[in-house]
Amino acid sequence: MPAGRPGPAAQSARRPPPPLPLLLLCVLGAPRAGSGADTAVISPQDPTLLIGSSLQATCSVHGDPPGATAEGLYWTLNGRRLPRELSRVLNASTLALALANLNGSRQQSGDNLVCHARDGSILAGSCLYVGLPPEKPFNISCWSKNMKDLTCRWTPGAQGETFLHTNYSLKYKLRWYGQDNTCEEYHTVGPHSCHIPKDLALFTPYEIWVEATNRLGSARSDVLTLDILDVVTTDPPPDVHVSRVGGLEDQLSVRWVSPPALKDFLFQAKYQIRYRVEDSVDWKVVDDVSNQTSCRLAGLKPGTVYFVQVRCNPFGIYGSKKAGIWSEWSHPTAASTPRSERPGPGGGACEPRGGEPSSGPVRRELKQFLGWLKKHAYCSNLSFRLYDQWRAWMQKSHKTRNQHRTSGSCPRADAARREVTGPRSCQISCRSWGHPPCLMETWGLHPDWGSPLYPHLRAPKHPQQQLGWVPWFRGPRQLWPPCEATLGCTLVMVG
Amino acid sequence: MSRREGSLDPQTDSSISSLPHLEAKIHQTHSLARLLTKYAEQLLQEYVQHQGDPFGLPGFSPPRLPVAGLSAPAPGHAGLPAPERLRLDAAALAALPPLLDVVRRRQAELNPRAPRLLRRLEDAARQARALGAAVEAVLAALGAETRGPRPEPAAAAAAAAAAAGVFLAKVLGLRVCGLYRDWVSRTEADLGQLVPGCPA
Repeated sequence: MPAGRPGPAAQSARRPPPPLPLLLLCVLGAPRAGSGADTAVISPQDPTLLIGSSLQATCSVHGDPPGATAEGLYWTLNGRRLPRELSRVLNASTLALALANLNGSRQQSGDNLVCHARDGSILAGSCLYVGLPPEKPFNISCWSKNMKDLTCRWTPGAQGETFLHTNYSLKYKLRWYGQDNTCEEYHTVGPHSCHIPKDLALFTPYEIWVEATNRLGSARSDVLTLDILDVVTTDPPPDVHVSRVGGLEDQLSVRWVSPPALKDFLFQAKYQIRYRVEDSVDWKVVDDVSNQTSCRLAGLKPGTVYFVQVRCNPFGIYGSKKAGIWSEWSHPTAASTPRSERPGPGGGACEPRGGEPSSGPVRRELKQFLGWLKKHAYCSNLSFRLYDQWRAWMQKSHKTRNQHRTSGSCPRADAARREVTGPRSCQISCRSWGHPPCLMETWGLHPDWGSPLYPHLRAPKHPQQQLGWVPWFRGPRQLWPPCEATLGCTLVMVG
Repeated sequence: MSRREGSLDPQTDSSISSLPHLEAKIHQTHSLARLLTKYAEQLLQEYVQHQGDPFGLPGFSPPRLPVAGLSAPAPGHAGLPAPERLRLDAAALAALPPLLDVVRRRQAELNPRAPRLLRRLEDAARQARALGAAVEAVLAALGAETRGPRPEPAAAAAAAAAAAGVFLAKVLGLRVCGLYRDWVSRTEADLGQLVPGCPA
């Protein structure tokens, strides 16, 4: 076996080592032992085998004269010594090995089968590759975010476990003409995905497929045919806001912005909303939101935190008759419905109203509304907003009526508004001149922020104590309301 | 700084004491070598993990295959004069990058899903080049003769390595990573002897 040229450390200190063209010394697959002059070779070198198959291997010792005989040799596989009964001495210098029913390889670089001398030194090695050929990839799905690129994902066959490194290649071509192209940007949205960034045509079908290859064979998926315009999707709608609807305890208003990426393209977006109670896993889906960017959820439980998500589907792009692909859901946005002060139907928590409420209370309420309308309406156009204003007024009036049921009177409260830190956020500060049992009620109205939740009533500790602040709930947090809200303080007598 | 054989005594060599930038350069290169020693250990650990057992097992003793153009630091290295030690360090560091590139290419075939290992091998080649250049700069500043021309690109070696069996390729890669660790560590020690106040 040729010896390596001595390195720089072994040379004279007077001059550096000359440059050498060969940097690695390959000795025909026979690593030299650390001590002693024997070498060996394992046959076969680096075989590839099916799971469950058998292997017959030999370790043949060379050397002149041979110092090691086959009697003293032994095998290890991945560092574990193999039972002696699996080995057989063929001749003075050759030890054979028989392995049956092989398991899949433990590492992709191959299982290490090593032939050792009696003293344990390594004489030779060979790497086994035991696995399965790839199965047909399937379930290819593709989408485009901007009609210029395409991202595809697929499922590998056989759960992906071949025990061998399997290479997946996404191929595509124009259906009627053109050559096969290979996608180059892999693992963009998971281990089995690829991204084609550019040079894609519209209004013409593409054929797309996946080829899987490993040491034991190859497989090809079915061909997916698509037009880029039919697989357009968007990012989720941004800026999703959920807020109360005045003082209505069973409704929330949801607003969002249409995705900006496709604003220049001619398409109609349709949206879907889903919502759930905070501690539930069951989502309710509101379909058919059409292309509006706001929606009102009704029939909700009072005093309950809800999580809401929105997603978008662009369809009809450039006249395509197919629906696009739904975007991912937006990040959950939370908001709480106002707490009801009246017992709900049945005396317990209200269930979300999927159907119509009982007709009696609704008819009575509607009658009252119409009466109010005659008195207060400025225009003949009935609208939800008008109805909401009336409901909020009714709730406040109901509370005030209850509070003024007792005898005695309370002085008027002086209120002052001031801005707090932050963009146009306001706080109401109230000063009372009277004595308990007059209590201070703070209240406020804002079309989007609803009525304050806590506290409605507070007792001043002394006649001239300033108190009163108007918090709002936005999701799970208390926030100061915007200054365009109507804020006020009232001293009320509560018996 | 204590006087020891092969060290540069700042009291006798006025070029060091009169060139604070040289001290700074030595200090900087020493710090770089110390950092790369740590990276070289990490590379070695990452490498053995991906080759499978028995690589990395306690007591694993692969054959110490000779690598043409590079061997481990000799036992007598520490006794050589400082410029000679640094010259040998620089020569070894210049020989390592092509070897590491060959190992990386082979590992890209054997362990394609080990991006961190492949990245470490790529970084090691680059870092060896940088450290070698820094050591040569120190040598030049000391007025010492630097080593000869750089080794040729490893085209023939790459072909030879590709033809080697997988087990042999794994062993050779381990040897190269070990040599890289040995020479970076040796360079750190040699520079450390030049840094004022740095223990031997």
